[in-house]
Amino acid sequence: MDRNDHAAIQAVLAGDKEAYGALVVRHSHTLFRVAYRITGNEADAEDVVQEAFLRGYRKLEGFEARANFSTWIYRIAVHCALDKVKRRRGDETSRVGDTNDLEQDQVQVADEAAGPDRLLLSGEIGAMQLAALHSLTATERTAFVLRHMEDRTTAEIGAALGIDPNAAKQAVFRAVQKMRRRLAPLRVAT
Amino acid sequence: MRHLSEMELIGQVYGEADSPAAVEQHLAACGECAASFAELRRDLAGVDRVEAPARDAHYGDRVWAAIAPSLPLYAKHKRRLWSSGWAPGGWLRGLGYAAAVALLVAGAFYAGRIWEQREQKKQSPIANQQHQTQPNRQPIVVVVLDDHLDRSERFLVQLKHADVDSAQMASPLRDEARTLLAANRVCRKNLAQTDDPELATALDHLDSLLAETANEPGGLNAQAIARLQEQMNADGLLFEVRVLRSRITDRKAAGANPAKGGTI
Repeated sequence: MDRNDHAAIQAVLAGDKEAYGALVVRHSHTLFRVAYRITGNEADAEDVVQEAFLRGYRKLEGFEARANFSTWIYRIAVHCALDKVKRRRGDETSRVGDTNDLEQDQVQVADEAAGPDRLLLSGEIGAMQLAALHSLTATERTAFVLRHMEDRTTAEIGAALGIDPNAAKQAVFRAVQKMRRRLAPLRVAT
Repeated sequence: MRHLSEMELIGQVYGEADSPAAVEQHLAACGECAASFAELRRDLAGVDRVEAPARDAHYGDRVWAAIAPSLPLYAKHKRRLWSSGWAPGGWLRGLGYAAAVALLVAGAFYAGRIWEQREQKKQSPIANQQHQTQPNRQPIVVVVLDDHLDRSERFLVQLKHADVDSAQMASPLRDEARTLLAANRVCRKNLAQTDDPELATALDHLDSLLAETANEPGGLNAQAIARLQEQMNADGLLFEVRVLRSRITDRKAAGANPAKGGTI
């Protein structure tokens, strides 16, 4: 574990609240990046970062000294981001019809065509990739982002999502399958 | 010959195959699987990484500035958790706290009245006249109210950030709401004699929220917490309490009570 992180945690637990600020400053960018990749939304990602650090502070007493703070807070952020996506999808009523979906019972969301994330990728390919990403369930999307974009192992993904590594592997598998199916027209076009 | 499954191929792409050497050996020998593998790699390589918008160097400082006011001091926090009924069996301690607050407020009012009467007797008619044009000073009440608003603010912050999926949060929140409800009613009763509509309104809103939190039928489930969070946000209660608290803290610091209302 990073000695600076460890020292800061000890200081916080001893009553020095300001020491937590150093941890926040050190890890905010990493959390924002993963939160943005999962939520696909800048404002949501900023909320997730704040929520993760708040939750982390509350749970700091339960943090094991041998653990790595960056991994620990990263997992909390992933969990917060996943919750955020699930809540957001719960609020949305639309369901896009991919009738051959492997998980007919899982809620899917309409493409967020007007979302800011969409604007960041130019061209039709980028737009289609984002649409494919949004068509995944929240768990699949998170698993895929962690595997494909964050280079996390399935064991790490399982730990972050609170699921068995094998279930994490299945989630990545389903995500890849769906992504390929959604992006098949690109393959033909290119 | 058994072909490799798509899952095995995906595992190989990401370097997590159960036996990578065996997969490689098979790919070298099986043209069909090798073609599938090449296609899979090409597909995945074509999926760009979503790049997050850049944050400037002060982003972490801004995050810290946003959350710092909501974080209690750790040592202080632990003491509060113990003393305010969050610990197992803390409900009785909560009742004790409420009773202590009630006694303190009543005692403060009584002491204030006695002190006021004595001061009036001591003062000359001119001084007495001047005194009547100034608001009363009851610093003890200000301290009690400040403490009550402080605890209420912490409760609202905890409710705001309550994890709706966590059953562990529900019981402490409910217990804290019950404790605060009793104290809030004492404060409301005493403030009913004053003329501070903002404070009275805030305490009314707080009373409503606390009562619902404390007496939610069927306990505090995720749906109930989400509804309470909505109610809190709709009333702007946290902001209201923070404004009032800063106002009262200022008065406490100034040691004076220049505003309308007399008792705070």
